[in-house]
Amino acid sequence: MTNKIVEVKNATKVYKQGSVDVHALRGLDLTIDKGEFTAIYGPSGSGKTTLLNLIGALDSPTSGEVLLEGQNLGKMGRRKRSAMRRDRLGFVFQAYNLIPVLSAYENAEAVAALKGGSADARRKKVMALLQEVGLNGMEDRRPHQLSGGQQQRVAIVRAIASDPAIVLADEPTANVDSETSEKLLQIMEELNRNHGVTFLFSTHDPRVMERAHRLVRLVDGKVDSDERKEIRQK
Amino acid sequence: MNGLSLIKVAWRNLWRQKRRTILTLISIAFGGLLAVLMTGMQDYTWLDVIDSTARLGSGHITIQHPEYIDRPALSRSVTGTDEKRTAVEGDEDVKVAVERASGQAMLATAHDSFGAFFIAYDPTRESDYTLEWTDRVLSGQLFDQPDSDGIVLGGVLAENLNAELGDKVVFTLTDKSGEIVTGMERLIGTITTGSSASDAGIALLPIDTVRNVVGYDATESTQVAIFLNNGRRTLTVSERLDKLIGGDASVLTWDEIAPEMRTFVAMKKGGGIVMNLVIGILVAAGIFNTIFMGVMERTREFGVMMAIGYRAKQLFSLVMVESGLLAILGLVACAIPTVPLYLKLKETGLDMTATYADLGVLDEHGSMDLGGVGLDPVLPFGLFPESAVAIVLAIVGATLLAGLYPAWKAGRVDPIESINVV
Repeated sequence: MTNKIVEVKNATKVYKQGSVDVHALRGLDLTIDKGEFTAIYGPSGSGKTTLLNLIGALDSPTSGEVLLEGQNLGKMGRRKRSAMRRDRLGFVFQAYNLIPVLSAYENAEAVAALKGGSADARRKKVMALLQEVGLNGMEDRRPHQLSGGQQQRVAIVRAIASDPAIVLADEPTANVDSETSEKLLQIMEELNRNHGVTFLFSTHDPRVMERAHRLVRLVDGKVDSDERKEIRQK
Repeated sequence: MNGLSLIKVAWRNLWRQKRRTILTLISIAFGGLLAVLMTGMQDYTWLDVIDSTARLGSGHITIQHPEYIDRPALSRSVTGTDEKRTAVEGDEDVKVAVERASGQAMLATAHDSFGAFFIAYDPTRESDYTLEWTDRVLSGQLFDQPDSDGIVLGGVLAENLNAELGDKVVFTLTDKSGEIVTGMERLIGTITTGSSASDAGIALLPIDTVRNVVGYDATESTQVAIFLNNGRRTLTVSERLDKLIGGDASVLTWDEIAPEMRTFVAMKKGGGIVMNLVIGILVAAGIFNTIFMGVMERTREFGVMMAIGYRAKQLFSLVMVESGLLAILGLVACAIPTVPLYLKLKETGLDMTATYADLGVLDEHGSMDLGGVGLDPVLPFGLFPESAVAIVLAIVGATLLAGLYPAWKAGRVDPIESINVV
């Protein structure tokens, strides 16, 4: 049985910007295995966002393939991609993006609830995860009653509560202070270690790169370097 | 939206902008109130006009000679009227049926002569429900028997003829066989119909007097006027009576007898519908603005929701439920000022005396003349059940319609464009 969660094969993405073609990705190849804790970094315009949009089933490549658990996302219709995002993908956004009218618990439960299943089991799981990320007793608070770090922790629980194949995290530490950033990274690392959750970060934050097990550098829409820390440490 | 209740989320969303939602509810309430006032005045006022038309004319439904409507003449009479009257009075919707003879006559006194429209009736069967001026006697009295002596004139006609109570009035008319015949009675009373125009041309006679003069037998007249418990059931009942009577007589409705009044009422009702539509459009525009702004402000949020797995249909449903809740709250907000005001106006009517007096449309008796029909300036007020249902449906429909486009927009949000997702 394959360990590959994501396979990006010779993917290109060309945007129209007025009459100009912008080549965001130029034949990019990348594979993410189950349980990895990977950071993608690179200069602005290198294609990080575009790559994660493709892996996140939010966009389709101009050519090439993006496979999630062996399924070609580029060939899926809108509804199927929506279902893939709900069932197999988790998202952590830079600006937390919790739903303001929902409580911390309701936000954390939102995606898992969309997926369905036993409400009791879901509640137990979400409550356990909230406790694990240090939000015990804050379940009923609305987002505006939580700090940035607490909101991001809720967002992390929302992303993993539905047991996704991979969590895509866009600059998850960009809006928090260094102490909170360390705490968040620690939480995600523990979730990766304890629950086997696969994380893929897009980041500029050296702290994220420090903790990542694998570093992929993009330049001009291609993989410039791909280092696994164990290899680098050797 | 499994797990999380769609209604719960929609409800919370509605109160994110409290002031805006409250202002929208006020606009719905105000629109609903206006619609109730407009329709409430129309419904019962026109019903009152129709009833007055029936009383002044020949009932809600009339049995008469088939050719009488096109060529009215005393020669075109209906026979066996007592049997017909008894038959129709067996119908549960019929309040009363009366035999009448009516037509044109030339009236003359020692001083002057004028043409008039006469109604000959049986005073033992008529009441103020069938002849509305029985309680509007200006001087003297009305008849008490079908063969009483005397003639009663409209007040203006009596003045024109320079006739005093007790004076002789000669009436000339064409009899059943087309011959000119004459009768003479003394003036025993004057009345007002509420319409000066009608007062200048109306004369009342006992039916047996006219029968004798024109050569009718005792069960013959020009019409059997049928009055219903509810004038709105005219069409249904007329179809039933047509089958019951059939044969040599026509069964006609009030609006077939007085098509000009039907046109007038239809025009006024049409105007009311247009006004209600304008109110509806204005209110719907306000609702649309609220919902659309709410959706536009949440574009990023909808983008996030789409990104994490909500389907377009779920976002569409969410906004539509918000619209539905707004409609329900709007109805409640509308009911708060409208119900007490409605109940008060239903009890008292809407007194337009001062306004109509300022406009100079009231006559000396305080009535308004509408095409020969005298109307009370205190307008009756009330909603027909179907009008109330229509207003409720219009409010709900307008709110849901106003939510359609914003809901569609919510479901079409592009996550990549609306949020800088990853």
